Amino acid sequence: METDSQKQNEKPHQSNNSTDLQIMKRDCLNKETTSRLSLLTKFHAGYFRISFALCGQALLWKTLRELSTDARALRPFVHILPSTAFILLWSLAFLSFLTLCLLYIARCLTRFESVRAEFQHHVGMNYLFAPWIAGLLLLQSTPFLGPPNRAYILLWWILSLPIIALDIKIYGQWFTRGKKFLSMVANPTSHLSVIGNLVATRAAAEMGGKEIALCLFSLGMVHYVVLFVTLYQRFLGSNSLPVMLRPVFFLFFAAPSMASLAWRSIVSSFDTACKMLFFLSLFLFASLVSRPTLFKRSMRKFSVAWWAYSFPLTVLALAATEYAQENE
Amino acid sequence: MEKNELQVETPSVLKQSSCQNIRGFDCVDCENGNDHSRLGNATSDKESKKESVASSENTKLDGQDIVISIPPMTSLSAFSLSLPSSPSGLHIGQTKLVVQQEKCRNTNQNNPANLNPQVARQKQFRSQPILVAEGTKRKLVRSETMRDSRFDPFKTWLGKLERQISNLRGMPTEEEDLEAGETKRHETEEAPGVDRYFDALEGPELDTLRATEVSVLPEDEKWPFLLRFPVNAFGMCLGVSSQAILWKTLDTSPVMSFLHISPMPNLILWWASLVLMVFVSFLYLLKIVFYFEAVKREYHHPVRANFFFAPWIACLFLSLGVPPSIAANLQPIIWYILMAPLFLFELKIYGQWMSGGQRRLSKVANPSNQLSIIGNFIGALLGANMGLKEGPIFFFAVGLAHYMVLFVTLYQRLPTNATLPKELHPVFFLFVAPPSVACMAWAKIQGDFDHGAKILYFIALFLYMSLAVRVNFFRGFRFSLSWWAYTFPMTGASIATIKYTMAVTNIFTRSLSLCLCAISTLTISTLLVYTIIHAFVLRDLFPNDISIAITKKKPKFSKMLAHFRSSSSDRKDIDSSISKGLEI
Repeated sequence: METDSQKQNEKPHQSNNSTDLQIMKRDCLNKETTSRLSLLTKFHAGYFRISFALCGQALLWKTLRELSTDARALRPFVHILPSTAFILLWSLAFLSFLTLCLLYIARCLTRFESVRAEFQHHVGMNYLFAPWIAGLLLLQSTPFLGPPNRAYILLWWILSLPIIALDIKIYGQWFTRGKKFLSMVANPTSHLSVIGNLVATRAAAEMGGKEIALCLFSLGMVHYVVLFVTLYQRFLGSNSLPVMLRPVFFLFFAAPSMASLAWRSIVSSFDTACKMLFFLSLFLFASLVSRPTLFKRSMRKFSVAWWAYSFPLTVLALAATEYAQENE
Repeated sequence: MEKNELQVETPSVLKQSSCQNIRGFDCVDCENGNDHSRLGNATSDKESKKESVASSENTKLDGQDIVISIPPMTSLSAFSLSLPSSPSGLHIGQTKLVVQQEKCRNTNQNNPANLNPQVARQKQFRSQPILVAEGTKRKLVRSETMRDSRFDPFKTWLGKLERQISNLRGMPTEEEDLEAGETKRHETEEAPGVDRYFDALEGPELDTLRATEVSVLPEDEKWPFLLRFPVNAFGMCLGVSSQAILWKTLDTSPVMSFLHISPMPNLILWWASLVLMVFVSFLYLLKIVFYFEAVKREYHHPVRANFFFAPWIACLFLSLGVPPSIAANLQPIIWYILMAPLFLFELKIYGQWMSGGQRRLSKVANPSNQLSIIGNFIGALLGANMGLKEGPIFFFAVGLAHYMVLFVTLYQRLPTNATLPKELHPVFFLFVAPPSVACMAWAKIQGDFDHGAKILYFIALFLYMSLAVRVNFFRGFRFSLSWWAYTFPMTGASIATIKYTMAVTNIFTRSLSLCLCAISTLTISTLLVYTIIHAFVLRDLFPNDISIAITKKKPKFSKMLAHFRSSSSDRKDIDSSISKGLEI
């Protein structure tokens, strides 16, 4: 909701702004008709943060449960999570993912113009990756489907091909398409494209596809380097992102943690490069957490953006778990 | 104190200057001299309405200063008094009290009979050169018998101690200052925004005041020493301590044993750098204690802020360069103690880069930012020397990531970047420092000089060469204390070359390391000679630190014109400065 209304405010120079206003007007008129339609109006891709959070949590719980019991310090965690709780969580994540996907498909079918407008927005276009990432996370945390299973491989391909296609589209836009140069559109949610690649890497490495994993990893990391530098430069200043979306700053440290996990799954041990990436994400986390004023204004009213806090923290916890296990 | 010097001649300037154009700015009619309301803050505001900017700065800086003048018979001579008043309204009473104690000094040469008796009995100080409506005020000669209260805005409450001490010594009492100091303080709590620094200053180190700007402190006179002592002074410690490390490496590495260096240079240099470090830290601590406002302004300066890393880096250098005869192995606790403040500083500075806003990197990037990066690598090197495992990797990772960002940004020379010098300047030597220390740190972390270390070393070498062949372009710059900070990259490159020679030993690398060591030693000695000359012969090693004295708001154009009219520059300068002022 906030991205919708704020997108109208924030990007006055968008070419289809008039279309947006018309759509909003029409949607407002339609609001009086049925409640189901109004739900679709309010819905937008940002709601996928919910399924991110839940699927990430499920993955974390699965990892904690599967820790080798050699890890003395982590042994309590292994026993704390009964398997039923984990299965419940996974089912909840699956349900939320399914619901959101269905809602979004419905929205595509009935409100295609607004969907299109959303994806032309510099924040919304990164959430194109959202369903596929959530699906991959869910796949990795499935209790009953392991990597050697053919269904797993099939599902991986189904979920990763859109990511690859989106990579080609969006990364190409970064340096060829005039209005969508990276220096113009870069914002913290751009990390989602990088995270998408890295999640696909991890899933691929776990199912044995080392070359594909390496390919996706290099793709993700190269663009992460570019994005990291650009975002640190803050060419446009902090006003390129609406205040309500400040929680997505947490994505800054989600990407290196995910990279550390991905590299670990490629080389099968938490070597120096993994450590360096993990430490970088720790530092960025400390840097953000010590700036509460950055988030104060966005914490006044509840919004779906608050869910953006959860996934990065989960990924950081995952990386920390791997690090702790390595150091035992 | 010369109490007999009651008749001090009115400075000639005051005789000449007329305040007719600024009626009431510096001349309160003496009949109303007792009017309590006129003594308040509102007075100076009302009277200087024409120069509203000046008055706002006036009230900000000078508190409730009032200026009273005694109109003589014919013309209005601007006899200016500054009596900081207290908000509590006790001012008059205190004044009278003071009067009873007869510590007043009459600087008015005019016919005393004309003086309002009350005013005559009031304490009279030399006027404070408030801001620059009249440039002539700048040329006031400081009376030796007065305690100079012009620098009070920059003083902390502990500066009160100085006043108490001066009270005890019989200087004019400054009780009013005690109250005024508090009001002054809350006005100077906010340092100027980063835009002001860019607007007001120019030059590769942002240390020269633009012609259209005015300084809040008098430019023509030497400020108190502590105010002139910049944080760049720590650059000297950096330079000397890195030399100590160089001579230690020369002494201990087997490949250079053909030189037969004795441990003596290392020992001497290390002790010298230790003493220097203690001395400079002590002086800067005094500055923090007595002139906290100046320290705050330095901290907000886009270039100087990076020099706040310098003390910690110098301490790290000292730990690295410890002669073996003193301590073979240092305790790891020292590493934690030294890295903690570095870590906190970094959190602040890098976080500012990331969260955008006024101090984002695309706006403030300048070569001195590399000082913040170097701390990471040196900490990693020291930690690896001590045998720590994870800590060095942590700082190396953080340093590497941010170095990449900074390197790209500096190379891009973004149009939004206002601080990058257009021409070459010794500050560019800082480019050589991060890769050379990173290479040493990585070699130590990994245990041997592997490919990663070699890659970093070659990058450092390339940057060094590309600057060395342009050494002609470095001529013509005024010597400043910060040049010391730019010498340690050369030393760092020499040490990295020695380490590289240890890995790849042949005649070429040996001669390269010899050559670089010679260059760095030569540079340091030359700098030492320059410093001594400037310190003792020319006595301008510490010039007035203009960059901390910029105004918080841009001076109004009319004030600028008045400034030019009064200054003795010729027409051309005025024209060019005015045109510059119009552009800004």
